[in-house]
Amino acid sequence: MVSVINTVDTSHEDMIHDAQMDYYGTRLATCSSDRSVKIFDVRNGGQILIADLRGHEGPVWQVAWAHPMYGNILASCSYDRKVIIWREENGTWEKSHEHAGHDSSVNSVCWAPHDYGLILACGSSDGAISLLTYTGEGQWEVKKINNAHTIGCNAVSWAPAVVPGSLIDQPSGQKPNYIKKFASGGCDNLIKLWKEEEDGQWKEEQKLEAHSDWVRDVAWAPSIGLPTSTIASCSQDGRVFIWTCDDASGNTWSPKLLHKFNDVVWHVSWSITANILAVSGGDNKVTLWKESVDGQWVCISDVNKGQGSVSASVTEGQQNEQ
Amino acid sequence: MEELDGEPTVTLIPGVNSKKHQMCFDWGPGEMLVCETSFNKKEKSEVVPSCPFIYIIRKDVDVYSQVLRKLFNESHGIFVGLQRIEEELTGKSRKSQLVRVSKNYRSVIRACMEEMHQVAIAAKDPASGRQFSSQVSILSAMELIWNLCEILFIEVAPAGPLLLHLLDWVRLHVCEVDSLSADVLGSENPSKHESFWNLPGNTQTLTELELKWQHWHEECERYLQDCTFASNPHLESLCKIMLGDEAALLEQKELLSNWYHFLVTRLLYSNPTVKPIDLQYYAQSSLDLFLGGESSPEPLDNILMAAFEFDIHQVIKECSIALSNWWFVAHLTDLLDHCKLLQSHNLYFGSNMRECLLLEYASGLFAHPSLWQLGVDYFDYCPELGRVSLELHIERIPLNTEQKALKVLRICEQRQMTEQVRSICKILAMKAVRNNRLGSALSWSIRAKDAAFATLVSDRFLRDYCERGCFSDLDLIDNLGPAMMLSDRLTFLGKYREFHRVYGEKRFADAASLLLSLMTSQIAPRSFWMTLLTDALPLLEQKQVIFSAEQTYELMQCLEDLTSGRPVHGGPDTQQCQDDDIETTKVEMLRLALARNLARAIVREGSLEGF
Repeated sequence: MVSVINTVDTSHEDMIHDAQMDYYGTRLATCSSDRSVKIFDVRNGGQILIADLRGHEGPVWQVAWAHPMYGNILASCSYDRKVIIWREENGTWEKSHEHAGHDSSVNSVCWAPHDYGLILACGSSDGAISLLTYTGEGQWEVKKINNAHTIGCNAVSWAPAVVPGSLIDQPSGQKPNYIKKFASGGCDNLIKLWKEEEDGQWKEEQKLEAHSDWVRDVAWAPSIGLPTSTIASCSQDGRVFIWTCDDASGNTWSPKLLHKFNDVVWHVSWSITANILAVSGGDNKVTLWKESVDGQWVCISDVNKGQGSVSASVTEGQQNEQ
Repeated sequence: MEELDGEPTVTLIPGVNSKKHQMCFDWGPGEMLVCETSFNKKEKSEVVPSCPFIYIIRKDVDVYSQVLRKLFNESHGIFVGLQRIEEELTGKSRKSQLVRVSKNYRSVIRACMEEMHQVAIAAKDPASGRQFSSQVSILSAMELIWNLCEILFIEVAPAGPLLLHLLDWVRLHVCEVDSLSADVLGSENPSKHESFWNLPGNTQTLTELELKWQHWHEECERYLQDCTFASNPHLESLCKIMLGDEAALLEQKELLSNWYHFLVTRLLYSNPTVKPIDLQYYAQSSLDLFLGGESSPEPLDNILMAAFEFDIHQVIKECSIALSNWWFVAHLTDLLDHCKLLQSHNLYFGSNMRECLLLEYASGLFAHPSLWQLGVDYFDYCPELGRVSLELHIERIPLNTEQKALKVLRICEQRQMTEQVRSICKILAMKAVRNNRLGSALSWSIRAKDAAFATLVSDRFLRDYCERGCFSDLDLIDNLGPAMMLSDRLTFLGKYREFHRVYGEKRFADAASLLLSLMTSQIAPRSFWMTLLTDALPLLEQKQVIFSAEQTYELMQCLEDLTSGRPVHGGPDTQQCQDDDIETTKVEMLRLALARNLARAIVREGSLEGF
């Protein structure tokens, strides 16, 4: 049974483009065409405005919360070509850093797994992807991948942290040898997988081709301890693909078509335990998908908007077991 | 590929205009966020009042119900108990033990029902009263289904006792019998039969019982045919009923509240020694006859029918769809699994149905600020994906209080979830540093075995000392013990504090050696050397000679190292010049003190002791 448990009135004066819960589900960050980023405390069904952050000079497209071990940090990206990192110090939220290294709208920001440190990937309409790494004392190091996608990059998503080889606990003080990877989707209809080399430079490791129009979103599924990696992608061509890679070396990716919608698919997102994929489908609906026993993906629920009843007695269909 | 039985259900979000705008969404740790948006960024946003609301939606909100809380808590105890005694369940007693567990679950449901009923009666407004009442009927349905499953699947009642169990079942659940005649109808004949069956001993075999019943049945038929009751239509009707005549029974339909009451009554009079395998035929026809084509079966009817057909998977499937939370199917399936009744179907999520349902149920519990603790145990008993699910969920529990944090940590440590322990300790250490609680930050970094953070916090301590001239959290630093080895900086902090302690105890020789070793062992950061040398001054100025000549040479070496390595400050800055002046003065003072000490030390060491 799905029910609305809280309705937060953001008082944004224009279209909302993104809303993100923090790590614990206690705070909500929203951003809008009204150029502001707002933060609310939503514990116990309430809503208290904590911060109204101004600093962008254009519509703000996305917000992203960093892992709480780094403190209370939020990143936002905007049409004004800037990425701003906001931080809470002594109970107040302030602009901590501004990154203005792009020539065009920055469309997507995504924090890397906390195991890698404090690293932010940003994808922009100028086709470049920049990576900001916090080096301490308020300093951020910037690495830029120019021409990552021709025409523009629409989405970035990090792979979950997996220690290669043994998963034995590393002795303290020794940093495990992580292989940092992320995926990006762009206007060249491609999904690209990027890997950090030993010299610290980022190299294009793979190209995933299946879409016939702009890739609007990519989402790398959280790890559930299985050796497979999974990426979801959606595109202007109305298709949503699930890409899986089985071998440890991560070289062969095979796509499976989740569904062909009759309209642009804008956004895909995995639930925390990676077992449900939410897709913004056609007809202004959000559909939820789960993998069934025979490896097929089935739609388990439609979340639609409309007037009238709050919720009928809706329940999710059981997975097929036969 | 098998298709879903029905179209996926649709949830409507109020207030969002579906004609004009799209819906933006994202996942929280336990919920989903949706709001109205326009994805096409190229569109100029019309200055049309758009919907400024963000909707937070969840499934399984039953977890927040006060009354159901008891159900969750108590069934948790039964569940864990069942998992634990699994190994001990052997042989003949196994079945009776499992039946006992099943009865325990049912009594918990009934207790919850009773409480909910009281709440419904006491409800102030009719709307919530109705809501509670409907909850009561849902619980009642759950108990009804569970009870039937217990009889058919767990008790595995054979022909003979089967009907008795079904009679009890019906009597228990259809006891909203309020009219006297219904009482008569319901109880009169069973009492006749109870003596017939001779319950307590039940030494008769099934065949003996069948023969007796046949004999009695034939006698009844003879009476009917002889028109013995022709003068009295009621008695005739009663006789027909006792012969199991369906039409006669159906005439009394108002007294039979539902088709399964009809079924059992019918069986009682027409086939009391019905075999389990034949139940489904009677069940299906009873349902059809009772509904009489006027209405279609409800979900509950389908579930019960599936049970009569001994189709366990279907029962579970239908229950999953019909009920609003996973509690029922998770616990029932687990129990049935212990009865070895479920064939293992491999699912992507959870290696079998039992695990799949338990994972769903436990995940739902984590949405609740205190029930999550129950969820931990459920994950523990899911061998395939329980651990990783627990890892993902437990990190997301808000650590509002120290107590809660410690509880979470203990759970992780008990399960050797070192990554989670580290992550949580780091988060708490960071929080403490931001709130300037350095002692707390230090102990969290030690617990996290995080050398880097420990170094950071130690630096803060040292900086504080330089600024204020004293240490905070002395207790902690004094009692670091082996944890001191975590990072060089931390070791230095501990040892430096030890120096101060020893000095305070006037054990000057020991203090002096310690101080020197701090510098020569390279443990002290160079930035701190000046402070250390300055600390040496009072020792150098003492009446008695504390530093030996050898030690003094080493100190001098350190000073020279320090001063030679310093870059020349060439700034026009006055403050800088002032600092330089202070530095120069200090260095001069030190050189003088060291030289004097050296002289005295040489003299002392040169002279013979005792003279």
